[in-house]
Amino acid sequence: MDELFQHFLNAIILGGTYALLGIGLTLIFGIMRVVNFTHGELYAFGAYCMYALVMIFHVNFFLALALAMAMGILMGAALEMLLLNRLRGADIDTTMLVMIGAWIVMQNMEQFIWSGVALSINSPFPANPLVLGPLSVSWNRVYVFIIALALIGATYYLVNRTRLGKAMRATFQDRDTAALMGIRIDRIHTATFALGSGLAAAAGALLGPVFVVTPTMGDLAASKAFAIVILGGLGNITGATLGGFILAFVEELGAGYISSGYRDAMGFLLIILILLMRPTGLFAQKERIG
Amino acid sequence: MRKLPGLMATAVFLTGFVVTGAYAQETIKIGVTQPLTGAFAASGNYVAQGAKIAEEEINQAGGVLGKKIQLITEDNKSNPTEAVSTVEKLITKDKVPVLIGAWSSTLTLAVMPKLEEYKVPMIVETSSSGKITTSGNPYIFRISPTSAMEAKAFQPLVKKMGIKKASFLYTNNDFGIGSANEYSNMLKTNGATVGVMETMDPKATDFSAQLAKIKASGSDTLFVTTAVEQLTLILKQAKEQQVKVRIISCGGSNSPDQLIEQAGDAANGSYHTAFFPPWFPEVTKNPEVSKRYMAEWKKRGHNVGGLTEGFRGFDGVYVAVAGIKAAGKAEPEAIRAALWGVTVKGIYGDIHFNKEGPAGKESGQNVPVVYLVTITNGKVVKTSF
Amino acid sequence: MSRYFGWLLVAFLASVPLWMHDFYFLHVLITTGIFIIAAMSLNLLLGYTGQLSLGHVAFFGIGAYTSALVSLGFQIHVLPDFTIGLAPKPAWFAMLAAVAVAGLTGYAIGKLSFRVRGAYFVIVSISFAEVVRLVAVNWVELTQGPMALNNIPVLRLGAGPLELSFLRKPEFYLLVLAVAVVCYVVIARLVNSRAGRAMIALRENESLATSVGIDVTHYLVLATVVSAAIAGVAGALYAHYIRIVDPDIFLFIYTVTMVIMVITGGKGTLAGPIVGGALFGFVPEILRAMEIEPELQWVVYGVLMILVVYFLPRGIVPAIGGYFSGQKSGGTAEAATTAAEPVQK
Repeated sequence: MDELFQHFLNAIILGGTYALLGIGLTLIFGIMRVVNFTHGELYAFGAYCMYALVMIFHVNFFLALALAMAMGILMGAALEMLLLNRLRGADIDTTMLVMIGAWIVMQNMEQFIWSGVALSINSPFPANPLVLGPLSVSWNRVYVFIIALALIGATYYLVNRTRLGKAMRATFQDRDTAALMGIRIDRIHTATFALGSGLAAAAGALLGPVFVVTPTMGDLAASKAFAIVILGGLGNITGATLGGFILAFVEELGAGYISSGYRDAMGFLLIILILLMRPTGLFAQKERIG
Repeated sequence: MRKLPGLMATAVFLTGFVVTGAYAQETIKIGVTQPLTGAFAASGNYVAQGAKIAEEEINQAGGVLGKKIQLITEDNKSNPTEAVSTVEKLITKDKVPVLIGAWSSTLTLAVMPKLEEYKVPMIVETSSSGKITTSGNPYIFRISPTSAMEAKAFQPLVKKMGIKKASFLYTNNDFGIGSANEYSNMLKTNGATVGVMETMDPKATDFSAQLAKIKASGSDTLFVTTAVEQLTLILKQAKEQQVKVRIISCGGSNSPDQLIEQAGDAANGSYHTAFFPPWFPEVTKNPEVSKRYMAEWKKRGHNVGGLTEGFRGFDGVYVAVAGIKAAGKAEPEAIRAALWGVTVKGIYGDIHFNKEGPAGKESGQNVPVVYLVTITNGKVVKTSF
Repeated sequence: MSRYFGWLLVAFLASVPLWMHDFYFLHVLITTGIFIIAAMSLNLLLGYTGQLSLGHVAFFGIGAYTSALVSLGFQIHVLPDFTIGLAPKPAWFAMLAAVAVAGLTGYAIGKLSFRVRGAYFVIVSISFAEVVRLVAVNWVELTQGPMALNNIPVLRLGAGPLELSFLRKPEFYLLVLAVAVVCYVVIARLVNSRAGRAMIALRENESLATSVGIDVTHYLVLATVVSAAIAGVAGALYAHYIRIVDPDIFLFIYTVTMVIMVITGGKGTLAGPIVGGALFGFVPEILRAMEIEPELQWVVYGVLMILVVYFLPRGIVPAIGGYFSGQKSGGTAEAATTAAEPVQK
């Protein structure tokens, strides 16, 4: 029974960060319809920024998080303006290919600069875990969970209750009308991509100290993010949040009780099942198919 | 007059061509194929660095057969198709008479048919899969141990450490599966029982599910086979989840220095098998060699955590050169025949090759020394067994 | 005119082993050729039916595994005491089996996946490939899992004194060339037939195609089956050339490579995958020969990709074609092609 509760606790904590990853991507993939292969790289970028800030420049741990996220936003904006801007009317697979190229460049630059050796980031939290009876969880992870929830809340607020968010939703529902209404389409595209990237970078900066930082760390994160986006429905932030938690639960319980080797495959199996039964995802409202 | 620059360029080009060609004549080339980018880049680069140290040492001492050696290192991108391409290039274009590679077992297995096709021997410096020496390929000479050898070396410690019930956590590839199978069989024939056998994807970063299961299994020991990145995370997460078992890592890709640096306190109390203990080189079979390698490594400012992998490249080059010397010429077939008779005082121990595999097509297999170390108070110490 | 050009090119390529004695170059041609065949098959799905399938390597790998397993023989326990086994069969038979099995898988996956479109389809295709990879890793009794299937037999045809064995480079190169030509012809025939026109129609505007009575799912599945079968052939060639198959054959980077070849070459054109394949098959080798840091080689590769797509978004072949026809008819061809651009979903 203890084991079950520990799995539950693990899943809840993990779910927070998964949700963060998923939300960032649902904005980009779901709303902008860009198959964003660089999402994982922004995650890694955030982690490397965190490493540089904390371990080399000795910036305060908590301030470093904010800075890493800011750098992620800037990087996202730069990518959008440099690469995606011109390709606005192009096919989905043309933009995808550019994203793949950017992914290859970013990951190898990271390895070139930092080498492939895993790096670890010191956190100010005690090494001993927080013990709740027979269950335990590390302080670092609790912190990550809280911040993740805060960021998710902030994003929800931004997208649903601010003018900028309204402009974003309008642009992607009907671009021409939005332009007619005076919305600066270019800026909205950049802002959306930057926001999604910033969230990915934040996730990386949060998880960097929990795990280790390697150039390939983004690949696994990206595949989970895609799974979550599908689960939650493209463009659906609430869906992505819930999707993140569902994925975490399925992974934890599946790995715990069915087979640990297949743990990271749970996501894919789940996607296939969902798509065969409910093609629009669990929570999408009125996405048309295709 | 307009043609002059063109003519000059051609002249320079040709001269360069001739000069490099002439230079190339003067060296004996040794091919090295390693993963320098991709998933295994960290380890591949360490091996390449160790190989370079050996290359320069040997050349400073005069080279072999009156010529200097030249390592030609190719990146196999952690990918079997690329591994085959690197070997093709090294053999057909660079005409190397001997190779060192290819790091992981899958990469090595991928290139084996090419070795047989072109009849060029390769020294296997890291791979652990038994298949490599039992597939009937007479061009393979492995200096690294197999998982079976490692498990066998561990045998006497089962009783000494008081292992009653052990669980396994290993990566879902040939490296982890081979190791877990060998060790679990060894345990069963030595009076211990096996708890749970949990796998993990080589890229996974979260092991909470597996650790919870291991905790609930009542084992006193956990054998872990994976590379150092995952090992760091496992140690940290085991501590976070209060999984109070004795952790023993296998496979030799564990870099205890890096563990101490990154896992901190969580690393204390863990045990690690090593094929080279840089913390007390005096216990190795050939301490002068070990110390020389370590000194040079540190002098070049390479990451100290890489000492435990770089030495494989170092030994590989020395063995290749010994083969060339014994053969008397830089020809693949002669080197292959000569390797059977060489002994090299290397960091792996006194390296020599026994026959292994189907009769008539045996591969060469060395029997290296296996050490067990432990981490106490942030330092690596010898075990008292 | 262009028909003769095609056959001339084939004749030229066939003559290569006579004057090119650099075995490494032949090796590069062979591996590039195998990927070009796979890219052509992907082009059928990606270019002609407009479905972004990112799981294509699954068919490639299934072809490779089938061919390896049939030529090595295998035995599996379906029930604790009941085994199904197959004795080793000759390689040519194994390769045909690979085509069949890959095609069948294409049928099954096609029928399941085409309930969804667009972005969802992309994810489903990736998921299928990942699941197939995991089966290959975990069903150790059949596939040897990560321990790999090695010692795959060489392809041999005929018997006795007439035996032709495909171990040496020149023979294998000609084999790959022959298979590539056959596949090209098959695809060309399909694309120019009624079925092909239906596929293009549904790529351009699916709802319109349905409204004129085209059974969209039928044609999508057909495209998948042919595409999968050809990818399976490429996989089988791979298995008998590299002669070791392990779950790494399902690496996502292989799908990425094929996608790059198709899109930069020009999706929806017959020559596109060949041009893209040649370019991005040779570029890594050229970079390797330039002796710059391995990571930087990748960076250059990535930058080159981005540049090609940026400046030639429709691909190299359409750009060249557009240039030539633009010269003649002063731009009408360009206008026509832009009008036919699929409506951004």
